[in-house]
Amino acid sequence: MSVEAQQGIAAPRVPAGLSGLLPALILIGLFFVVPVLALLLRSVTDPAPGLQNYAALLGDGTYARVFFNTFLVAFVVTIVTVLVAFPVAWMLAIMPPALASILFGIIILSMWTNLLTRTYAWMVLLQRTGVINRALIGAGIIDQPLPLINNLTGVTIGMVYIMLPFMILPLVGTLRAIDPMTLRAAALCGASPLAAFRRILLPLSLPGIAAGGLMVFVMSLGYFVTPALLGGTSNMMLAEMIAQMIQSLLNWGLGSAAAFILLVVTMALYALQLRLVGARRAVGGA
Amino acid sequence: MTQPFLSIRKLRKVFGAFTAVHDVTLDIPKGQFLTFLGPSGSGKSTTLYAIAGFQDPTSGNVLLQGKSLLSVPSHKRNIGMVFQRYTLFPHLSVAENVAFPLRVRRRPDAEVKRKVADMLSLVRLENFAERLPAALSGGQQQRVALARALAYDPPILLMDEPLSALDKKLREEIQAEIRRIHRETGVTILYVTHDQEEALHLSDRIALFRDGRIEQIGTGEDLYLRPATDFVAGFIGNSNFLAAEHLETVSGASTIRLADGSLVSGINANGSFERGQKTRLMIRPEAFRLERSPNNAELSVEIVDIAFYGERRRIVARTSAGQEIDIRPTSSMAATQDTSPGRRRVFFDPGGAFLFPA
Repeated sequence: MSVEAQQGIAAPRVPAGLSGLLPALILIGLFFVVPVLALLLRSVTDPAPGLQNYAALLGDGTYARVFFNTFLVAFVVTIVTVLVAFPVAWMLAIMPPALASILFGIIILSMWTNLLTRTYAWMVLLQRTGVINRALIGAGIIDQPLPLINNLTGVTIGMVYIMLPFMILPLVGTLRAIDPMTLRAAALCGASPLAAFRRILLPLSLPGIAAGGLMVFVMSLGYFVTPALLGGTSNMMLAEMIAQMIQSLLNWGLGSAAAFILLVVTMALYALQLRLVGARRAVGGA
Repeated sequence: MTQPFLSIRKLRKVFGAFTAVHDVTLDIPKGQFLTFLGPSGSGKSTTLYAIAGFQDPTSGNVLLQGKSLLSVPSHKRNIGMVFQRYTLFPHLSVAENVAFPLRVRRRPDAEVKRKVADMLSLVRLENFAERLPAALSGGQQQRVALARALAYDPPILLMDEPLSALDKKLREEIQAEIRRIHRETGVTILYVTHDQEEALHLSDRIALFRDGRIEQIGTGEDLYLRPATDFVAGFIGNSNFLAAEHLETVSGASTIRLADGSLVSGINANGSFERGQKTRLMIRPEAFRLERSPNNAELSVEIVDIAFYGERRRIVARTSAGQEIDIRPTSSMAATQDTSPGRRRVFFDPGGAFLFPA
């Protein structure tokens, strides 16, 4: 984004009166602020006033394990997504635009395909008698089927696949803004391909990695469908736990508290990223 | 025979059906400032990229002090390069940009610091060390690029149209800087440009490229005063080409008949011509005189337009055969003469005019 455009956005446009903003403010208040406050309220009042829901969640080993699982999966998914997305994004950034737009189309198309369908497809691929295990056994690489499903491995594989477009898209934007001649200049300066990557390409692509990484991490923290289908009962994630608390146990207070903790963590992460990369880059601008 | 410092041997580059460079052979002595001049698509940048290692040539070789560079990857060629766009590393300060080649070579900190200071003072940017490239003007960025390219004392500096993104005034300023830096460092420079004035100002020697071949190589004076072909004559400086019929050539001096029927003898012949062959006579605009000198040839013209250009005047005139020519006498010379529109005679030294095949 150009400097002028930045200033255009930052420049205060004084409204003639606040009355023009009122419909939007009511909408935001009614549908975004009130529900979050209601959530908070319920978490400290249901079944009785006090912080007992939070104490239960944070003090109990079972719940702590769910939090740990959730963060572990979100963290691993983010790292793996970055590692897979980077080469793809770089290829998209430097290939001829006509070819790149075809590949973009394919990636977007996969995003538009129904989430459940894609997750069930992974079940077919990953199960004990699934395509992958049978192919590996058939090729004589393994004797026993690998445990690829109903555990964190399955969840990670499925979620990386779902999250890839959210990483690739901001990353391509950032990488396209890098002049390829800069890398040639680095090579002539004596930088080996690895040194040029580490000292030039990687630092220049950090804003894109941070923007995509934050989105993937936050989405992963609250993800429900993929962990529910590909994960196991012994390693539940937070969204599954909230669903269980509310649907099966009808414990609205505990569920609200868990959801609120998730919200606070997400906001803390966003604030951290704003500090590290700057507000402008966190929203995906280059 | 001593070994040439940098030697380009029968370099050829083919892109599909298009041959960008046809067997270019060239020796460059140490410390020389050589310019590849030519229109776009003439193969000058392709030749430079082969030396830089960005494009492998189809055949031929590039030798530095007798050793082939072709099998050496770019990052081990030890060549400095300044690009058309500035290509500074946007996330690094000016000082860190200049330090970059030294850091990847793992030179000790003290040496890096000293060298960066030296380089920044060479390009006169001592006070900008901590700025980011985005906070510099185009000219300053290009000076940082120059400092970065020279920081590790490369034996060769390649420059690919480094001034084309700058405005005229900055261009002249950086040209002077480049001349000074060449003088002070003695680095061998290969410089690519399509701007003949830039080439004439800067270079010890110019290789004029056309369609992937070197049309002529020599000093600026050689190319200007003794063009080997009409293409060279047309590309370097301004030229008038008059249709002429060749009559005879005796010991390098030709006699021709111009379109208006007048005979001119004592012309410099480039090559041999048949009697009656159609040829073109090249005369520089500033070679025309408004008053007769001994042995001068004359041309009857009608003056169409006169414009004042400071040190020179530019006169547009039409020959009696109807061809427009460009005449540029010095203003002081023109001031003593009547140059009002109308018919008059102009004069030129036939020894300074050249005959080319039509």
